[in-house]
Amino acid sequence: MEKNIYLNIFKVTEPQLQTLAATALAHGGDYCDLYFEHTTFFNLLLKDGVVSSGGFHTDFGAGIRVLKGEKTGYAYSENTEMADMLKAAEAAAAIAAGTSGAGRSYARVADRKADLYPMKENWRDKGADAFLSFMKELETAVFAKDSRIVKVIVRLSDSVSDVMMYNSLGELTYETRPMGSVTVTAVFQQNGKTENRSASRSFRMGAELIGPGLLNELAEDAVKGIDERFEAIRPKGGQMNVVMGAGASGILLHEAMGHAFEADFNRKGQSIFSDRMGQQVCPKGISVVDDGTVAFNRGAGNYDDEGVPGEKTYMIQDGVLCSYLHDRISASWYGTKPTGNGRRENFRYNPIPRMRATYMESGNADPEGIISSVKNGIYVDEFSNGQVKIGEGDFTFFVKSGFLIENGRLTAPVKDINIIGNGPQALADIVAVGNDLKIDNGTWTCGKEQSVPVSCGMPTVLISSLTVGGE
Amino acid sequence: MITANEISLAQHCISHALSCGASAARVYLNKCVTDSYTILNGELDKVTHSADRSIYLYIFADNRYGTFSTNRLEKNELEDFIQRAIEMVRMLGEDECRKLPSPERTAKDAVTGLELQLYDAAYEQMDAGTRLANAFRLSRYDEIKAAEDGYRLISEECEYSCTSDDSYTADSQGFEGRHRETTFGTFSEMTIEDRDGNKYSGYWWQTSPRMADTDFDECGRKALERAVRQIGPKKRRSGRYRMVVDTAVSSRLVSPVITALNAASVQQKMSFLDGAIGKRIFHEGMTLMDLARTPGKNGSRLFDTEGVATKDTSVIENGTVRQYFVNTYQSGKMGIEPTIEDVSRPCLMPFIKGKDLESAEKAVSLKDILKLTGNGILVTGFNGGNCNPVTGDFSFGIEGFAFSRGRITHPVREMLITGNIVELWNNLTAAGTDARPSSRWQIPSLAFEDVVFSA
Repeated sequence: MEKNIYLNIFKVTEPQLQTLAATALAHGGDYCDLYFEHTTFFNLLLKDGVVSSGGFHTDFGAGIRVLKGEKTGYAYSENTEMADMLKAAEAAAAIAAGTSGAGRSYARVADRKADLYPMKENWRDKGADAFLSFMKELETAVFAKDSRIVKVIVRLSDSVSDVMMYNSLGELTYETRPMGSVTVTAVFQQNGKTENRSASRSFRMGAELIGPGLLNELAEDAVKGIDERFEAIRPKGGQMNVVMGAGASGILLHEAMGHAFEADFNRKGQSIFSDRMGQQVCPKGISVVDDGTVAFNRGAGNYDDEGVPGEKTYMIQDGVLCSYLHDRISASWYGTKPTGNGRRENFRYNPIPRMRATYMESGNADPEGIISSVKNGIYVDEFSNGQVKIGEGDFTFFVKSGFLIENGRLTAPVKDINIIGNGPQALADIVAVGNDLKIDNGTWTCGKEQSVPVSCGMPTVLISSLTVGGE
Repeated sequence: MITANEISLAQHCISHALSCGASAARVYLNKCVTDSYTILNGELDKVTHSADRSIYLYIFADNRYGTFSTNRLEKNELEDFIQRAIEMVRMLGEDECRKLPSPERTAKDAVTGLELQLYDAAYEQMDAGTRLANAFRLSRYDEIKAAEDGYRLISEECEYSCTSDDSYTADSQGFEGRHRETTFGTFSEMTIEDRDGNKYSGYWWQTSPRMADTDFDECGRKALERAVRQIGPKKRRSGRYRMVVDTAVSSRLVSPVITALNAASVQQKMSFLDGAIGKRIFHEGMTLMDLARTPGKNGSRLFDTEGVATKDTSVIENGTVRQYFVNTYQSGKMGIEPTIEDVSRPCLMPFIKGKDLESAEKAVSLKDILKLTGNGILVTGFNGGNCNPVTGDFSFGIEGFAFSRGRITHPVREMLITGNIVELWNNLTAAGTDARPSSRWQIPSLAFEDVVFSA
């Protein structure tokens, strides 16, 4: 039985799980859960033509969480010896000691429907030698693309996590989560100027990820737009029309609204969207989704880290705010079902509401038509980081490349500018949504208290006014 | 704390690696215990107990190199782990620059881990009840609710944390180094709402190696002050302004410079300071020291990851770049003398354009800098943005206040600054003496002229 495989990995029995749960609830907690994790990480780095560093890392342990009302007690053990786990259970149980009053109730959830990321080839079964030739070939392919390249750096990493979760409702879930990522960076020199470009792909899938298809995609992406980068200018700064290109522009959704829709911020009244459930927050016809069910996606989850199956959650449907992103605590507080957004970095952290794959569904507009409708503005299509202030709703994201739009045409390339806006205002200012939704499969990682893998996507979108940094 | 048995286990890792064919090895053993308590709106919200123990192995074999870590510290499992690690290292490419540092460069004075006075024995005396009581001392919820004036307190989140960290590093050339420290941290975040329903948030924090340094009143007071003072922001036109940056966030402008001084970045052509050694790149008023060996101060350490002894040095002296951060590997790759792997405790020296501060011997506060600068924008927070490591071109979101004749006039928001980090530092007009004692990076309040703001 598959269940026994996981019980054996963590050297525990079902009666022991029940004993730990009983210990965790000994002081009157409403609910408790146990999270067992065994993760192996593997990484290789190619620089100066040689894969001359690499390594692997093992992480193993069990976290125990107790909830009493909205209060959380959390402790963990770096081994699964019963005595050590009982100590952790007792430490977490203390949150409920001396408290009185009504607690919260928690309900069982339905089990998952399908495996979103079956591995054809387990990364753990492959040695380093299996990837060395791929990295070298990728380096060669990138160098062959452009004579101005002076350096190529290739990073390959993977992880495989065995996860088992048990809770005081008696739910026992388990799965194995793969992740593979490859990043290539090329450094170019031309007439004394230096520029660089990076391309990355990351998927929840097995070692079958590594192959000629990925190699060609990355090599192509690593040199794309480099001529424009050498010619790029800083635009004149200020408020202007901004066309967000399809794909990585989804960072706008992640920063401008996704975080503000995470239910912990709303439960505490801290989000700018705290009192806007059921209201029209953007023009009709726009739907924004946080989706844990995109097969092999970096943000996909058969289960979240509370044992709740992944689901496709509409945050905005036809312009109306219709759901926050819930973990079990906030779902209980709001009297709704958890949405599968309770995630954590690893067993050392308690789960909190986090995004998965966040994207806007396609609209009806022709992307070329959106650009041609803009007299003066900016088109942006490549990004690095972003940030948001939850209460104020002010968000920013950093644009690595784009173009000026003049009289409906893309003209001078631009680079390295920050864009700032206000979440509710930016949503209200969306005036056109393209029919070309694209999910970006780069190595996006969200850093709200803990790091978790996410992804984002967007069709081409026109926002009537955002503030663009510039000369 | 790390036990004698655990040190023996770490030493065994080295000898086992050598017996399995490694030519050299280094081991890093770390134990860290943290207890944290979160108070939400005056009530206990979360209690977390963390106890971590891990071993990192740096293995060299046949001019090949790999890094490995595990938290499974059973001897048999470790031996198997090391065996697999060496097998993997042997698959990697050969690079003759991969080696341990010369023994004469490693620290000899990190014996007990207590030499830098970063460990407070009071940590051991503090029980869970005292920690919880300390967390409640941070909360000012009832007091603020009772005194609301022109705003409503939406939420107050406070956290009190205590950490004991102990590490032991050893290598196959005989180096042994120990580092122990305690950290007592406080954090407070306030979210308020003005009469028009607009929300504002402010946070403040403090960390110290000594329990007695904790100021339980400051966190909540400053967090509330930072939230309330944002009420009523006004739009400001795009243009070139003088900029003053508060010490709480000024390290953001030093960070790209530190990154560019990393020898690995330079060697990979990913640094705007390539070829900068010995050249005056920045304004002559900019002097950045690495004061790694100051007892009792956050960030101090006697040795780096490689075990190389730190020393107090000039990184940038009167605008001239004096050193890159060069580890043993990069030293071999670049054919230059090694220094230290990375910065420990960067300290920016005080400066006022046109004044001789040494003869004046006075403290220079944010208030002084605002007065000297006259008119401009005071930056109290950065909101996103980035700096291109290759060119130094940056664009950051900012929040803060307009000021006139040295006095704050009104808050500003949704603004950006854009420019080149080298040019920015060449426009430095003042650096204060007000770096926060609790910060590892000792960067004071700063003033620059001719900064491009977009709004």
